[in-house]
Amino acid sequence: MVETIRVNLKVNGKQYVLDIPPDERLIDTLRYRLGFTSVKEGCGRGECGSCIVLVNGLPRHSCLTLTATLDGAEILTVEGLAPEGKLHAIQVAFLETRGVQCGFCTPAFMLLTKALLDKTLDPSDEEIKQWLASAICRCGSYHYYFKAVRKAAEYLKKGKILFDEKEVRKNLYKLPLLR
Amino acid sequence: MSKPEYVEIVEKVFDKTRSKPTKEFKYIGKEILRWDAISKIRGEKIFVADLINLFKNPVFVYSVRTKYAHARIKKIDVSEAEKYPGVIKVLTYKDIPGINDVGYVIPDQPLLADKKVRYIGDTVALVIAESLENARDAGELVNVEYEPLEVILDPLKIVEWGGLREKEHTLIHDERGSDVVSRYKIRAGDIKKAEQEAAVVIENEYRTPMQEHAYIETEAAIAIPEPNGGVTIYAKTQCPFDTRRAVAQVLGLPFNMVRVIAPSLGGGFGGAEDVGNEIAAKAALAALVTKRPAVVLFTREESIIGHAKRHPMIARYKHMAARDGTLLGVEAEIILDTGAYASLGPFVGWRAIVHSTGPYRVKNAKIDLAVVYTNKVYAGAFRGFGNPQVSFAVERQMDLLAEELGIDPVEIRLKNALRNGDRTVHGQLLDHGVGLVEAIQKAVEAANWYEKRKLYANQKGLLRRGIGIAVMYHGNSIGAEGADFSSATIIIQRDGSIIFRTGLTDFGQGAIQGIVNIIAETLGVPPTYIKVEWPDTAATPDAGPTVASRSTVMGGNAALVAAYRLRQRLNRLASELLGCDPEKIVIDAPDVYCSDDPENKITWQELVEQSFWKGVPLQEFGYFRAPPAEWDEETGQGAPYMHYTFGAIISDVELDMETGVVRVKEAVTAYDIGRLINKTGADLHAIGGYIQGMGYALMEDLYYSPDGKVYNVSLSTYHVPTALDIPEKITPIWVEAGFRRGPYGAKGLGEPSIVAIAPSIANAVAHALGGGVQVSKDVNKIPLTPDYIYSIIKKYKLLGK
Repeated sequence: MVETIRVNLKVNGKQYVLDIPPDERLIDTLRYRLGFTSVKEGCGRGECGSCIVLVNGLPRHSCLTLTATLDGAEILTVEGLAPEGKLHAIQVAFLETRGVQCGFCTPAFMLLTKALLDKTLDPSDEEIKQWLASAICRCGSYHYYFKAVRKAAEYLKKGKILFDEKEVRKNLYKLPLLR
Repeated sequence: MSKPEYVEIVEKVFDKTRSKPTKEFKYIGKEILRWDAISKIRGEKIFVADLINLFKNPVFVYSVRTKYAHARIKKIDVSEAEKYPGVIKVLTYKDIPGINDVGYVIPDQPLLADKKVRYIGDTVALVIAESLENARDAGELVNVEYEPLEVILDPLKIVEWGGLREKEHTLIHDERGSDVVSRYKIRAGDIKKAEQEAAVVIENEYRTPMQEHAYIETEAAIAIPEPNGGVTIYAKTQCPFDTRRAVAQVLGLPFNMVRVIAPSLGGGFGGAEDVGNEIAAKAALAALVTKRPAVVLFTREESIIGHAKRHPMIARYKHMAARDGTLLGVEAEIILDTGAYASLGPFVGWRAIVHSTGPYRVKNAKIDLAVVYTNKVYAGAFRGFGNPQVSFAVERQMDLLAEELGIDPVEIRLKNALRNGDRTVHGQLLDHGVGLVEAIQKAVEAANWYEKRKLYANQKGLLRRGIGIAVMYHGNSIGAEGADFSSATIIIQRDGSIIFRTGLTDFGQGAIQGIVNIIAETLGVPPTYIKVEWPDTAATPDAGPTVASRSTVMGGNAALVAAYRLRQRLNRLASELLGCDPEKIVIDAPDVYCSDDPENKITWQELVEQSFWKGVPLQEFGYFRAPPAEWDEETGQGAPYMHYTFGAIISDVELDMETGVVRVKEAVTAYDIGRLINKTGADLHAIGGYIQGMGYALMEDLYYSPDGKVYNVSLSTYHVPTALDIPEKITPIWVEAGFRRGPYGAKGLGEPSIVAIAPSIANAVAHALGGGVQVSKDVNKIPLTPDYIYSIIKKYKLLGK
């Protein structure tokens, strides 16, 4: 029988007590045990960056992290950026700058943005590039993502963190919505 | 034969809107956010692997791959593996109920190897277990007895220059009796006479790499057993209907018992074309054997060794020109390496030869092309489909000609570029919609070409700049590869919302949003009313494969036809309700009114509700078929594609003379896409295509050990551009020369966006190196890695001169 380890985790603001095998990867805990599928696996080796989540506020490859080492840690995934019906300023910025293509890498880029903007709301162009180089976007949306970081910083500077999703939809499409 | 109604509709819409500037449309050409963007930034469950949790008690399927790149199989023993804890069953070729083949164009590719293995990714057994870990561990215990054979990685061991005759060699496909998959040729005019008359002849050899798609989502499929022996499969596939055909064949089931659903794809670029069939078939097989949901999930390593790549090319080109730069003739021998299996190789070879002389007036040509097997990973579809390879050679040749003749690279291209009224090398008349010259001129202006070209001449420093241009054309739709048809369904719901069904998939490219824009414009409703359903062979109509830059044109036409017919019906009903001529009905949902009486309105919802009461059907099916292509096998004459997208790319690079490192600083892309349909998607595509093309030009290649193993099976060894590698600025420019048989005049952009990137960068690097024709001739292979460029700098002592 596989021995399990008890781990206390706070994920997206909610406390979990988990009994997990010692070799369980954080990405599997998040995706398959807890259902946070915004966390993507693209390589399992810390190269593509799609699995990046924030552990105690800092970006971490969840595919290279064992959950058992995280007792007491606080984890943020894209699902935790905003409550139901709301969107986070970073999400709004990523929508407004229109860089989303296949969307597989986008959650990781948004979390990298979060960690960077938690550190400074005035990142230099070089800093933005350096931070965003932790993940790969094969569709090639990088320039749009750089813009999204700056746009998100503007919102956050003004203290605008959460947006009403319906309002965002309305403004974004500048088009009538059916409901 | 009279013209089909659907062609008439498309032409009517084009004729009516031809002179209308794009900015005057309501939805077409606008920066509209893609319909699925919010689900994507929320990280919702839209990719195949995200759905695993939704299925109870799944089994996991692991592909046991060969240890040799080329060997005969003597015996496969799975008895030890089957005893491993958690293993439910281990399948081999003997367990396949239908036909053991997933070959795309020709039946040369067993799903599970039987007599031979031909490359390092061949699957010899499938382990089905309670967990992926169990399955992988048990895979180690599958015992295969091999008789290793000579591994051939060099296509020049299969065929030789001077006619591309097949050489004596160990046959890879002994069952076919030849390792030449297919051959193509073009014979136009009199090439001997052209050479005699030429003032200058440039000969050179070119090589292009085996590019990996490196989509970030690796392959995934989930199969669920259905009643009466059927199966439903969620799979990462670009072409659900092709996947269904392959799965039905492997399982020995009729098509209607196999249902393939393609959720969002985390990138495709052509690579999710045939591997989609393979993973779906593997999952389906396991689901039917175990009667449980079955999951196939590739690691990055499996993805890299297990799916089709871009065909590497070796080519010898000879260009002949007059003193003033007029092209007199092109002669070439081209070899495309399709690796272990044909996959789409025959079609790639055909597209390559069609484009093998570039978008120029070429009257005399003698081109031979062979697609050959080797023991590399098989090559298939990759954005561009044979065109980036030949365009690299052709566009380097044009620069060499220019250099030799002392003509500016832009001038020599303008001199020979195809224009309205010209014939292609195949004799196809281009009577309208050729925007190449305009694209060149706009790119030249935006890039400040003449000024920079002068500024960068004769540099002496350690960091040198160079600027290069390349032009391209790309046939729209699938041409002579097969019957090209598309269909779409639009259903207006009783509350006014709309369901749009297409079998075309979206892997990020934005074409589906383009089709939504077309429907919205035609019906007069905002795109936000329209829901796009996941492609599902049981529910969406067969729209043909999502390939060949055909979605906007072919899928768009089918949707346009359906939307147009609905609009006609709604106009008639509205005219009854509002009391004016149907032609005068304006639908600008939620408002519907007569153009001469805008105050007297009804709402879109009222119009829809009235349709229900008055018996006006609100569901419509649209179909469009491209005119059959013409192609003479002996001469390469005919009309291979219904039309062409044109483009001009200018790249401005910086070269570090001490290290050979090349950085692209700025780039301009100008494409004639007929009509801009989806501005957001088009801009993203031009930029994204550039970045992927830059990877192809500077860093991407698959490296093999002599025994056929791939060295770089990870993203830290197979390099793709990151945020640190990209140019500061890429400027997309749009030319809209129109196309009578495209929706509102549109042409395709998917593949064109990568075709001429690498040569524009290589031309810029040659410019930065300086040193004349001899040095420039050495810039003849990509990727332009630092060691390669440095070897040229060293060879010609270009530093310190």
